[in-house]
Amino acid sequence: MDYRVNLAARMLANKRGSLIGAVLAVSIGILVIHVNFVIFQGIYDAIIRDMTEYRFGDIFVSHEEEATIERSHVVYTNWFERVPLVKSATPRLSGSADIEFRSMGKFNEEFDVPVVGVEPVSDILASKIHTTINEGQYVYARNSIVVGETVAEDLGGVRVGDNLKLIMTNQGGEEVSKRFVVTGISKTAGGQGFDTSVIIHIDSLRSMLDRPDESNSIFVKLNEKNPEAAIDIRKQFLAAYANDDLKAQTIEESAEATLKGFRSGIAMINLIGYFGMGSSAFAIVTIQMMLVNSKTREIGVMRAIGAKRKDILMVFILQGMIIGAIGAGAGTGIGLAYTTYAKETNMQFQGSLALEVNYNWPKIAETALLAFFLAMLAAIYPSYRATKLQPVEAMRNV
Amino acid sequence: MSDIVLELQNVSRIFGEGDAQVKALDDVSLSIRRGEFVLIVGSSGSGKSTLLNMIGLLDKPTSGKVILDGKETTTLNDGQVSQYRNEKLGFVFQFANLLPDLTVLENVMLPQQIQGSPEDIRQNAIDLLIKVGLEDQINKRSNKISGGQAQRAAIARGLVNRPTIVLADEPTGNLDSVTAGKIVKLAKTMAKELNQTFIIVTHDRHQFPDVDRVITIKDGKAFSGEETTMEITA
Ligand SMILES: Nc1ncnc2c1ncn2[C@@H]1O[C@H](COP(=O)(O)OP(=O)(O)O)[C@@H](O)[C@H]1O
Ligand SMILES: [Mg+2]
Repeated sequence: MDYRVNLAARMLANKRGSLIGAVLAVSIGILVIHVNFVIFQGIYDAIIRDMTEYRFGDIFVSHEEEATIERSHVVYTNWFERVPLVKSATPRLSGSADIEFRSMGKFNEEFDVPVVGVEPVSDILASKIHTTINEGQYVYARNSIVVGETVAEDLGGVRVGDNLKLIMTNQGGEEVSKRFVVTGISKTAGGQGFDTSVIIHIDSLRSMLDRPDESNSIFVKLNEKNPEAAIDIRKQFLAAYANDDLKAQTIEESAEATLKGFRSGIAMINLIGYFGMGSSAFAIVTIQMMLVNSKTREIGVMRAIGAKRKDILMVFILQGMIIGAIGAGAGTGIGLAYTTYAKETNMQFQGSLALEVNYNWPKIAETALLAFFLAMLAAIYPSYRATKLQPVEAMRNV
Repeated sequence: MSDIVLELQNVSRIFGEGDAQVKALDDVSLSIRRGEFVLIVGSSGSGKSTLLNMIGLLDKPTSGKVILDGKETTTLNDGQVSQYRNEKLGFVFQFANLLPDLTVLENVMLPQQIQGSPEDIRQNAIDLLIKVGLEDQINKRSNKISGGQAQRAAIARGLVNRPTIVLADEPTGNLDSVTAGKIVKLAKTMAKELNQTFIIVTHDRHQFPDVDRVITIKDGKAFSGEETTMEITA
């Protein structure tokens, strides 16, 4: 082993306090970034995940100008389902209704509740909203209704098996009503689901609104997450139906408005993380300056017996690299342990949505490398100061 | 090759400026021959260490020339001077000044490692450590051995690159008289065995009874012999 490496390592090993301090400074900087990432990127990705699974799919088709798509959805869903990467495509229609509920002699009423019409067979394939039914089951018949948890509470405690009356105004301006049997209660953590809506069969909604064959949107789900493919498929779809005035957006585009503010928040928090890393560099400068000052005589001796300035520089920069390597290793290790813990336990905060935890390897590597280089950079000034010590220092008889 | 290994020509060293000026060395000229065992004596503050620093290329004279192995050294740059110190000089300091983070063996290996010597560095160092009687201490941390042992190790480190001159500044100054006597004897033995030039600074003439030459420093001036007034010339 090169004597400079040996000397650098030994000096540090014999100054355990300084070593631990400097390593902690580096690793805490990294840890802050990992924890930030797990929590804030985790929330961000969880929102995207839920929006994808419940509301928008990977591609979301709607009309460019009108609220509804008049042409039968079958044309479009068939087109999508012929694409190998597409898992399923399902139409949705929305409206709103006043809901009446009678329970044990008490009458409850809610106005303007959002109503989502779904086609159960393809919706179960395309969307995960059916998994949010924590009591009963999903819509399966023309008179089935799934009630969002909030709506159920507002109506005074709707239970599976209860009867509800929905009153709407149809296309022609007439008031229509229909009775439904509650088959399930839907509840999601984080509010991206249909907790404040009710879900019925799309055909029931179409007939109530007198809008046969119409839908608002087509919800398209790919076999797996693949943003580039989603963009491609969207383009091909729009080209195939260029005259239909349709709009097709990938989830990233659909979520853009919702998440724009959130993203700048994440950037801000990351900045704080990098700032923390910067301060750890200052900690290293301080600790190494102390080390250099305590080694004045040794440096003088080394110079006296022939070590050149660049050898002294090397010894102390190597120390920075050792600190950086151990700190980056430890910080990344602990950070990964935290990430794994968050992932395995489906970490969530007080019943809110479960974090969507991912290992972002490029970012993990980038953070570790950055910390390593910062530690090395931080060592430059103390090392330079060490080279300025004179060999006569070795001779001082005090 | 010339028999003269070191020559000082009109060397002066002035510290400070103006009224605070101290002339630590005043126009010193001297020369040392190969294999000589030279003692530099003088009272405290007379300029012994300053002189040794000049000879050891640890400091540059304010004026005058230091010629080592026939080469004028005052014009060399820092890197070249470092290399000269490494190859041509061996140092023994008052407080042995081993690097406390390294073992005894690693300390003795260091000058050859700095040089990048192609030789069997470890074996050279072990051989010397055996010669100075430290075979049992080889792998100890160098701050875990006694003062006398440390000074032996320092002598081994000073000799390991087979330098032109070994310089020692008060090598016994920190030792009790029995231990000091042993160190003096070791230095003499090594000098004879290896035909090694030694220049030793001391304020205690009596610890070195048998030397080839004595140079006395007084108020920054060098004199040949003990307490004489005759100035030496090259
Ligand atoms: N770095 C320095 N700066 C100022 N004065 C110095 C310095 N080194 C030595 N001196 C002065 O030079 C004189 C000789 O010092 P030194 O060579 O250390 O003497 P010795 O080793 O004989 O005791 C003393 O007066 C000392 O104060
Ligand atoms: Mg002195």
